[in-house]
Amino acid sequence: MIAERLQKYLVIGFVVLFFVYLFGPLIVMGITAFNTSAFPRMSPWDCFTAEWFDVLMQDARLMTGLRNSVFIGLGVVALAVPIGLAGALVLMQARPRIRPWYYTITIAPILVPGVVLGISTLLFWDRVGLLLGMGVDSIFYNGVFLTIVGQATFISAYTMLIFIARLQRFDPVLEEAALDLGASHVQAFRKVLLPFLKPAIGSAAVLAFLASFENYNTTIFTIVQSSTLTTVLASKVRYGIDPSISALAVTIVIITLVGAVMYEISQRRQARKEKAQQAVARGELKSMTKQRSFFAEPAFIMSALIVFAGLGIVYFAGTIGVDECKAIVKAEKQAQIKLRVERRQQKAMFERTAEQIGAEQPDQEDVQDEEKVKAKGTEGYEGIFAPQNLQEQAGDSGVEEEKVKAKGTEGYEGIFAPENLQDQSGSNQ
Amino acid sequence: MVSYWKNFFLKNGTAVALFLIISVGVWLFMMIILPQLFMLDFSIRANVPPPKFGTEEHYYTLEHYKYMLFGSAQASGTFNIIDLTVFFRTIAAAIFVTLIDLALCYPIAYYLAHVAIGGWSRLMVLSLIVPFWVNEILRAFAFKIIFGSTGVINNVLIAVGVLDSPYDFIRNDIALWAGLSYAFILLMIFPIYNAVESLDKNQIEAARDLGSSWLRIHWRIVVPHAKPGISSGCTMVFMLTAGALAAPQILGGPSSLWFTQIIYQGFNQAGNWARGSAYAIILLISCIVLVLVIMKIFKVRFGEMMK
Repeated sequence: MIAERLQKYLVIGFVVLFFVYLFGPLIVMGITAFNTSAFPRMSPWDCFTAEWFDVLMQDARLMTGLRNSVFIGLGVVALAVPIGLAGALVLMQARPRIRPWYYTITIAPILVPGVVLGISTLLFWDRVGLLLGMGVDSIFYNGVFLTIVGQATFISAYTMLIFIARLQRFDPVLEEAALDLGASHVQAFRKVLLPFLKPAIGSAAVLAFLASFENYNTTIFTIVQSSTLTTVLASKVRYGIDPSISALAVTIVIITLVGAVMYEISQRRQARKEKAQQAVARGELKSMTKQRSFFAEPAFIMSALIVFAGLGIVYFAGTIGVDECKAIVKAEKQAQIKLRVERRQQKAMFERTAEQIGAEQPDQEDVQDEEKVKAKGTEGYEGIFAPQNLQEQAGDSGVEEEKVKAKGTEGYEGIFAPENLQDQSGSNQ
Repeated sequence: MVSYWKNFFLKNGTAVALFLIISVGVWLFMMIILPQLFMLDFSIRANVPPPKFGTEEHYYTLEHYKYMLFGSAQASGTFNIIDLTVFFRTIAAAIFVTLIDLALCYPIAYYLAHVAIGGWSRLMVLSLIVPFWVNEILRAFAFKIIFGSTGVINNVLIAVGVLDSPYDFIRNDIALWAGLSYAFILLMIFPIYNAVESLDKNQIEAARDLGSSWLRIHWRIVVPHAKPGISSGCTMVFMLTAGALAAPQILGGPSSLWFTQIIYQGFNQAGNWARGSAYAIILLISCIVLVLVIMKIFKVRFGEMMK
């Protein structure tokens, strides 16, 4: 009995830990978006602020990337949804012997590393452009075009899976009935099959857009000179991080949450509608009652209110008193540093007296602390872990020293570039 | 064959048939097959600038594959230890990450499918999707924040007294493993969840009534039933982890490198596209072979896995 209860608690503990692992990082990141500290961190907490959202909005590179991402996302939807639909319809009609091959080839892009897809797309269109004698300014060298095509390669496979799942529930008799009643093939397709597939088209479009929006591995190769939100983000994150990136994450999480809630609501509506249809078919109901509009759903109104109220409160709270608070924190920090310096002076004095006495005992820890403070001046610990500092640090550690020196200001960028590796393997000889 | 096409057009009508053929044709040939073949062709040719493509200097050669094994021509005789190490470490780490994910996800999937109750379970499944739609870069960024030297984890550990000074999680690859396991965890959980959910609860009840221990119930009933889901989850997580680029770039310590990063550098810094393609093909083929071998060992068929 006790063992059973213990087991139950263990299971619940595991589930809780799992969800902490899943959401903890996002929550911590979300919180750092509201701290004034220039390095994203949760503790020590400086001031509550919404200023990082303004910083985010004013970041021209990010905004350009965002525009490109949206455009590419729409392009991918326009390409991947019809292709996925066609792919699923062809699969349904393919002969049994061809079917497994066809299926394997079309599903393969999901499993092929994104890096490989990106490279192959880039090379292929490069050669096509060359064969057609097009210049470098033609569409085949355009990052946006290449990215749309490259992403659509595997996103079409996602959309195809969605259509297959829906088509498996399609009753072909419906289409035959339409044809018997004199509809043309195109009419049967448009008036029978497409309406049946409408929910799947919706989900496929949303999924395609989201998958395109967050893709990095393929995009980084196909984007060439252009940029998307993810590529801009990646270069930002690699070369120094600040809380405006956290602010972006908060925005995305909120949009996702809203999307998930809306999806859930529309799913419930769909279920209710189908139930009512069945009731009508059984003769229990005379006719379908008209459903209220999506935006009049109580759940939708509730969640919209919560989101708007939450955003409003946070933004309002984040704009008042920030400067005062910052001034206070700054003063506190300066006081701390002053205190430390004073303490150090005292200690030095003490040591000097101790030296005079003859007992020498330097306090290692304190000296280190001091150096950091000195090096960083008034910033305190801030920026200790900024890339440029890491570079200095890496420089101390033997082997990497040469490489960093060789690459100079480029930071880590080229440490592992083949030429460096060559150098090294040469020196190994 | 001719009659088949005729039938195809008849069955769909000309307009729809054309739409199907063109869409699928473009997808299959222009987007999937030909690009891969071009990449293969590119990887077995000498590395020359674009204007010389197709000329005699663009001859066929296996030098890029040789380079992966033996390094540059001057250093002949020894293996290209750096690239090979990175390659095998990437594969080993990807397997490791896959196993972590499996160990984490199997209990959760079982719990969500059979233990949790109604609305609560639905809410949990829905909430699983949220982290998945947060950008890959941002997820890695979140791990960089919490594993940093002033990050939450170090602060907590120091406050509790486990550590005296911040531990460098990033340099020791712990942040990378945590981030990679996190990145594709949902691709493990959903296939297993779907497979486990379709198991009839009565089977578990029956086994329990007949006196099986819970370990035996899982080993003999749940796991065999969920095998297709487990293998498709493992395949996806392994392939995507081995091919990951964002997380290693952001979370990788200064001295650890992912194989995709070498490919990336081949393209962006060394300017050696041919070698980059050769490495990409090596990555692709070795991953596929490994997956097929493991599927063979565990007797899983590709067809049933993809359901």
